[in-house]
Amino acid sequence: MYKLPYKMIASYLPSLNIFLKEAGEIARFTGRFFTQWFKPRYEIAELLRQCFVIGYRSLPLVGLTAFILGLVLTIQLRPSMEDYGVASQLPAIVGIAIIREIGPVIVALIFAGKIGSSIGAELGSMKVTEQIDAMEVSGTNPFKYLVVTRVLAATLMLPVLVLLGDAVSLYGSWLGVNIRGNTSFYLFWTQVFNSITFSDVLPAFIKSYFFGFAVGVVGCYKGFNSNKGTEGVGRSANSAVVVSSVMIFLIDLLAVQVTDVLGLN
Amino acid sequence: MENRTVNNIKLGAFVLGGLLFLVVLLYMIGANRSLFGATYLLKARFENVQGLVAGNNVRFSGIQAGTVKNITILNDTVIEISMLIDKKMLMIIRNNALVSIGTDGLVGNKVVNIVPSKVSAPLAKEAEILQAKRAVSPDEMLQTLYTTNNDIAVIAANLKTTVQRINSSSALWALLSDPSIPKDLKISVAHIRDATGKAGNIVDNLDLMVEDVKVGKGLLGKLMRDESLAKNLEAAVVKINRVVEQADSLAGEFSGLVTDIRLDATKGKGTLHTLLRDSLMAASLTNSLENIQQGTDGFNQNMEAIKHSFLLRGYYKKLKKQQQKNEKKQE
Repeated sequence: MYKLPYKMIASYLPSLNIFLKEAGEIARFTGRFFTQWFKPRYEIAELLRQCFVIGYRSLPLVGLTAFILGLVLTIQLRPSMEDYGVASQLPAIVGIAIIREIGPVIVALIFAGKIGSSIGAELGSMKVTEQIDAMEVSGTNPFKYLVVTRVLAATLMLPVLVLLGDAVSLYGSWLGVNIRGNTSFYLFWTQVFNSITFSDVLPAFIKSYFFGFAVGVVGCYKGFNSNKGTEGVGRSANSAVVVSSVMIFLIDLLAVQVTDVLGLN
Repeated sequence: MENRTVNNIKLGAFVLGGLLFLVVLLYMIGANRSLFGATYLLKARFENVQGLVAGNNVRFSGIQAGTVKNITILNDTVIEISMLIDKKMLMIIRNNALVSIGTDGLVGNKVVNIVPSKVSAPLAKEAEILQAKRAVSPDEMLQTLYTTNNDIAVIAANLKTTVQRINSSSALWALLSDPSIPKDLKISVAHIRDATGKAGNIVDNLDLMVEDVKVGKGLLGKLMRDESLAKNLEAAVVKINRVVEQADSLAGEFSGLVTDIRLDATKGKGTLHTLLRDSLMAASLTNSLENIQQGTDGFNQNMEAIKHSFLLRGYYKKLKKQQQKNEKKQE
């Protein structure tokens, strides 16, 4: 007779309890974001500053990563493509792969690593040094000033970073094609544009907004709820990266199901 | 403050760069799908569209000309495809162009190929149905390839046997290694060249003769060209025919006469039968002839005597002189 491992299940219950509690708190935090977002006063200057910090300053890292990604992907795909006798289709295949999946996901992960940890650490240190409390006392809405601007900036900037990352990645791919071949820049882009469709570009573009939103919300939540002093700051930064990365993959999984249902795959 | 302005400009450029790439991307995809710019509709009907879907490319003589708009099943054997064609093709595609479904490369997407006909026809109008050409499916190609492979295998086996026989043929190799053969071949080629030259001359002469005949020169030319000669010949032939007919009837009559004579000579009782068959009559006739000869000799003697008689001597002298005069005149 099979005996249920009650003790083992019971040992996981606290973790499950914590997970569910945190999920609920993140949901409430997200709901608070939406309620605060529409209310005046709008922190436009802070939003632009956060966009600059989150978006523009992430460009070198994202650009470098995307360039290497395109180059390496092309070089590593070439032997297999040659084995099947379709090396001429390399631009088309790399183009679809980068624009549809690899570009958004990799850029979002890099973004989560840089911005998620940055927001988590920044807000965490503000929390443990009671700067947030001080803001509240001084009459400034800390949630609106710190959280809404950062989440909005992350949501708006990640799609732009994904687009520029795709462009740089395809440029790297063109160089990769030309390491062992001879394809003109114009021919490469013609092949890429001929192979991709709206159903490749639009779902990838739309899901990158959700990736950015997830990174922003998780980073802000972790930082905003940081405790236990400087140790908590590090933990907030770390868990912000881990949770937002997992969120990116979960959203990607949902997105592919939705596009499949809509017949866009 | 100044720093913030610079940062905002950088941010604006960053966002614009991203959006520009998005716009270019969407525009290029849209242009490839004939979403921008003027288009017109053409249709074609197939039994089997072989996996063609809306959005697949349409090519005219290999050039991108539009996209498949939609595919409609009309009944269980007819499927209609509607194609959005670039308006620039309006003055190029004719209504007798053939439409077929192909593949972009060996493993690529399906494409619709419009191939122009060599015969001139009016330009295809909006929503006109073009004639569909049944494309060869990969299964059929593989089936053909299978048959071809089998044939090639048989041919290769035969070729192998032939090559082995050639390799094992000592006579052939002896022939090939004989140094005198190239020399003989050269001589033969020279002879062939001479013969060819002569044949060329003959042909030239024949050509000249034919030219002469054409213009009516020579007997043959006249025969071929002269109408009066042809008429004369025709008349002569008619006459010859008539003479031949007369000769034929004459021969018939003569044959009958000979038959009569033969009958009369063998069985009849007439003079001829008597002359030819009666021996007594022959003897009597011989005697009579001898008597006549004797009578004639006597008569000659008498005439000679009369010539020398004084009564007629003058007459004969006169006759002789007249005869001599006539001979002189003739000389």
